[in-house]
Amino acid sequence: MQRDVGSFPLAPGLRAKLIGAGFQTVQELLEIGPCELSKEIGISKEEALETLQIVRRECNSNATKTAGDPEPVGKCTALELLAQEQAQGFIITFCSALDDILGGGVQLTKITEICGAPGVGKTQLCMQLAVDVQIPECFGGLAGEAVFIDTEGSFMVDRVVDIATACVQHCQLIAETHQEEDFQKSLETFSFESILSHIYYFRCHDYTELLAQVYLLPDFLSEHSKIRLVIVDGIAFPFRHDFEDLSLRTRLLNGLAQQLISIANAHKLAVVLTNQMTTRIGQSQSMLVPALGESWGHAATIRLIFHWDNKQRLATLYKSPSQKESTVSFHITVSIHFWGEDSGMEGGVYPKGSLQKICALRAGHTFGPLEHCVQDNTGVATFIQC
Amino acid sequence: MVILRAGLCPGLTAEMIQLLKANGIVTVVDLVSSDLEEVARKCSLSYKALVAVRRVLLAQFSAFPVNGADLYEELKSSTAILSTGSRSLDRLLDSGLYTGEVTELTGAPGSGKTQVCLSIAVSTSHDLKQNVLYVDSTGGFTASRLLQLAQTRTGDEEEQVSALQRIQVARVFDVYKMLDVLQELRCSVSQQVLSSLGPVKVLVVDSVSAVICPLLGGRQAEGLALMMQLARELKTLARELSMAVVVTNHVTRDGSSGHLKPALGRSWSFVPSTRVLLESREGTWGKASTCRIASLTKSSRQPTGIEVELDIGSCGVLEESPAASGEGC
Repeated sequence: MQRDVGSFPLAPGLRAKLIGAGFQTVQELLEIGPCELSKEIGISKEEALETLQIVRRECNSNATKTAGDPEPVGKCTALELLAQEQAQGFIITFCSALDDILGGGVQLTKITEICGAPGVGKTQLCMQLAVDVQIPECFGGLAGEAVFIDTEGSFMVDRVVDIATACVQHCQLIAETHQEEDFQKSLETFSFESILSHIYYFRCHDYTELLAQVYLLPDFLSEHSKIRLVIVDGIAFPFRHDFEDLSLRTRLLNGLAQQLISIANAHKLAVVLTNQMTTRIGQSQSMLVPALGESWGHAATIRLIFHWDNKQRLATLYKSPSQKESTVSFHITVSIHFWGEDSGMEGGVYPKGSLQKICALRAGHTFGPLEHCVQDNTGVATFIQC
Repeated sequence: MVILRAGLCPGLTAEMIQLLKANGIVTVVDLVSSDLEEVARKCSLSYKALVAVRRVLLAQFSAFPVNGADLYEELKSSTAILSTGSRSLDRLLDSGLYTGEVTELTGAPGSGKTQVCLSIAVSTSHDLKQNVLYVDSTGGFTASRLLQLAQTRTGDEEEQVSALQRIQVARVFDVYKMLDVLQELRCSVSQQVLSSLGPVKVLVVDSVSAVICPLLGGRQAEGLALMMQLARELKTLARELSMAVVVTNHVTRDGSSGHLKPALGRSWSFVPSTRVLLESREGTWGKASTCRIASLTKSSRQPTGIEVELDIGSCGVLEESPAASGEGC
């Protein structure tokens, strides 16, 4: 079967010239040399050589794939993917209810979008996640690093220090009750200075800088292979003001989304984006919907919408490939700042296997496969063994 | 537009080609559509030789007409109708997915397109024991959800494992890689390279607009050309290799009326033979529901406007009673 010339990644002008000269399939291009090609369609010899190299490279890669191994690179069976997924961890949010509706936490290799009105807690959650991704593996974390791309200037280092200190304290309490060597060892390297030094911060002032930063990210990621989280805080902000050409905006956003998902997939990391809300005026009522239009709604794999209900903050899982739509409430507090419905308690979530015999204390929680340790307000850890 | 080359057919020599090119006849179409007496005179070639060459070229390159009865017999023997696993969806699609055709699912974000695709993949792989190729361009493919769907169909672990093994997944995030994967599929089937699995019967592309949208619009026509390239690949795979192709598409908001319409424009709307729109029920955010309404917006066999209800809960796309979905199966 012949492959069409139009399906190769060539420049549009070049493609037009090739088709105009009558070259339709790959076979015809492969039989001709670069000098003849440059004469035929009127391009320089270097361009002709480059074109032939691109075409030959694509064809050769196809040929080796079909002739050699039965399962070429890039394709795998669903069973293998299942094994990979089960071995991957999640990034916990320190709020058991939120983790439950997300299916364990923020998933790797997917884009999670958090939308909400101003002041509802999107940047807070991003800062929490940037700290949580660094929790050592023995405590159930990923021991990774984080990239924080800030477009709104809402990143407050003092707040991150608070969150990091609380997280370290929490882990220390766990280690104290569970006298195991690897806990103590990992705690030595897990201090708030190390947490802060592993958050890579980029500030982008307009959409060009944001696009450039995202397109340059693969190089940065190949140098820092421990990064497991990329946060873009405020993807809507640079695209919402001063943008005259809306179709250009849609194209740029779609291209950005594809670039982000391919980074997430190639480097096995999670991408978290925050979005603003805008009002849509319908026939009889107006509602708050996520900004950037309908086509942006398809970009994120998982969509969380934070909203207010009187004085209570609610989180709704609006779109997910594996979890049901549901709504939970959460609070933001001073130290470990996210927790679920029961007020006045700090809660942490650790996957089974790392802390075997620790169960939750207070009633009213529904726990899935995760088990909890609870610390009450006086700072004394109370663990109940099942 | 095939260029004339020496050896393309017996009687076409290199000198002939040079003479023809000097007079502006470069491709087969030019030669076949020109007045041969004039060409013989201008290029000082023999008229008989040119007529012989033209006859051979026509036989080689023109399409062969088939009459309707033969076509019908061929279709009857080569088309298969694959059930999607959900009786209501089958009713909507006139008893299932037809091989040789492209079916499109569109809907707003969160309306259940990926869930329906996963459900179709599992039912084809488990109930019909056929191979599926799932091309994922949005990152929405979750193998654990696939396992969940397989577990509701059978409790036997070995069957679940073999069902998952029959589904091949390719993750591509730009249009050239997607064309690569489709081309590779075509090559491997036409060369009859038996992979460990066998022939693919269902091709699911989720989604096609994610890779095409970044290229459409603006002043360059390249995006449109690539979209049509992709459309041609999909239709060739469907028709020549007897596969059922399912694609998903986004929706955009119509500027003038404010209604939702499928993305990719009018040119793409001619590519699928059947189009299904998925919507969730009108409701506020607080109420979560797994109910979706699928309506037929384009079909060559059924009247449009038919609607059915689907439940994309944990049982997958089944039309069981609400009691079952409430328990979470």
